[in-house]
Amino acid sequence: MPAKDGAVRPDLGATAAFDAQGVLWAAHKDGGYIAVSRSDDAGRSWAGPVRVNAVIEPTDMGADSRPKIAVGAGGELYVTWTRPLGKPFTGEIRFARSLDGGRSFSTPVTVHSDRQEITHRFDAIAVNDKGQLFVAWIDKRDGVAAAKAKGPAYQGAAVYYAVSDDKGASFRGDYKLAEHSCECCRIALRTQDDGSVLAMWRHVFTPNIRDHALARLTPDGKPGVARRVTFDDWRVDVCPHHGPSLDMDAAGRLHAVWFTQAPKHSGIFYGRLRDGAVDAQRRVGGETAEHADLAVSGNRVAVAWKEFDGERSRLRAMISDDGGDSWRERELATTAEASDHPRVLLRGGAFQVFWNTRREPLLTVALQ
Amino acid sequence: MKLFCRNLIGILLLLATAGALADHITIRPFDAGSMEAIRAKYAGKPFVLAFWSTTCEPCRKEMALWRALKLRYPQIPIVLVAAEGPADQAAVRAFLMRYNPGPVQHWLFADEFAERLRYSVDKSWRGELPRSYFFDAAHVAEVRSGLIDRRMAEQWFKTHSRRN
Repeated sequence: MPAKDGAVRPDLGATAAFDAQGVLWAAHKDGGYIAVSRSDDAGRSWAGPVRVNAVIEPTDMGADSRPKIAVGAGGELYVTWTRPLGKPFTGEIRFARSLDGGRSFSTPVTVHSDRQEITHRFDAIAVNDKGQLFVAWIDKRDGVAAAKAKGPAYQGAAVYYAVSDDKGASFRGDYKLAEHSCECCRIALRTQDDGSVLAMWRHVFTPNIRDHALARLTPDGKPGVARRVTFDDWRVDVCPHHGPSLDMDAAGRLHAVWFTQAPKHSGIFYGRLRDGAVDAQRRVGGETAEHADLAVSGNRVAVAWKEFDGERSRLRAMISDDGGDSWRERELATTAEASDHPRVLLRGGAFQVFWNTRREPLLTVALQ
Repeated sequence: MKLFCRNLIGILLLLATAGALADHITIRPFDAGSMEAIRAKYAGKPFVLAFWSTTCEPCRKEMALWRALKLRYPQIPIVLVAAEGPADQAAVRAFLMRYNPGPVQHWLFADEFAERLRYSVDKSWRGELPRSYFFDAAHVAEVRSGLIDRRMAEQWFKTHSRRN
């Protein structure tokens, strides 16, 4: 973005992940490029950035879009982002990898086989224990086909995914996970011990309820059936730009945070998801709380979010040692300048919160 | 008949203006003081303030509604604010030309610190779009998240154009 001094200020959207050795990797913008930086001391100092794409391409960075990074068990680095195309709301999911410890990246490729100039946006990435790579995204091909057939109007979009068995050298897909997703929220992914991946996203339930759905992505492209997992009953045609976060505890219970403006209660909420109901649902933060993220380690649950108090954005967190029944709150950082959405990361079993701010780029704070 | 003709000429003029404006859209920077300035400008008068973005699908559908309402109730100001960064100005302009909301006012977030700008409008707004405020003459707002209900909007404009 052109700053007053004429310099280019890169977008703040960034994500990060620790590898098995405890090295922290962040995907972010560097000028117009997608870049990856490396920290060997949990974010106190950074090396890089190394450019992921040698040629600048437009990148979808607004609202709930930002580059994603995932790390394979052998230290492979996988990066995805969305490249907007010419028409409004269109895009394609881009992918590049590094097999040499982040020193260089492969030429970016488009993940999906569908090449229409339509919506393929809001990429999400996960690697299972077998090293298989899953990339999921929001896709409007079914809506476009319905419009061409002059059938009834198609509600929302759909979630599709692709799988790579060769560390990102090739992808197979496109597999449809579910129809009628909401159109502009990030998708949360969580790998399972059996090699499948759970996805949680904002859905459009009949007639226009924007609560959340959960389904299983399988490596063979035969996904499970989607089921509703939040029940706030937010009925509206809206772009919340506010996707959920999902993780699982040692007992196999699913923990999530999400956003709703339903009439009965609005704001950020935490809860444990189960069939047909949410356990221990509670509000997260105050009136201006937004963009929460969550991670689970054993039976400990950590949630981070930000709040604006009129002067500063505050990075706040709450932590539970008993699987989400009781909580204590902490404030981790503040800034009087722009900031991205926070992310809760796991370094071994310990929580770290990653928050890219204009004042302190790639800020990483331990959460105990 | 005379009244009909006058209305017709008025509508034709507005349509011509809308077409011409597509090429010369003025987009003002919306900063933390803009909300106060807009309210001061329309002191004692009703107006509509609507936030949107180029990545919001329901916002696209609203553009034609704003155009229809502006043509029918030209005396009520409609202020559209694109809730995205100044770097998106070209995309905002292209979107407005494509989905033409008619001769309404345009603003664009002036900086990247979106929380501060949203807070200056309404601290309970978390960034969902479209987000619309129907201010009556006393500037008490009816607030809506999501695609505006056409009947509600028409009724509101009808009521407030009469009182205006």
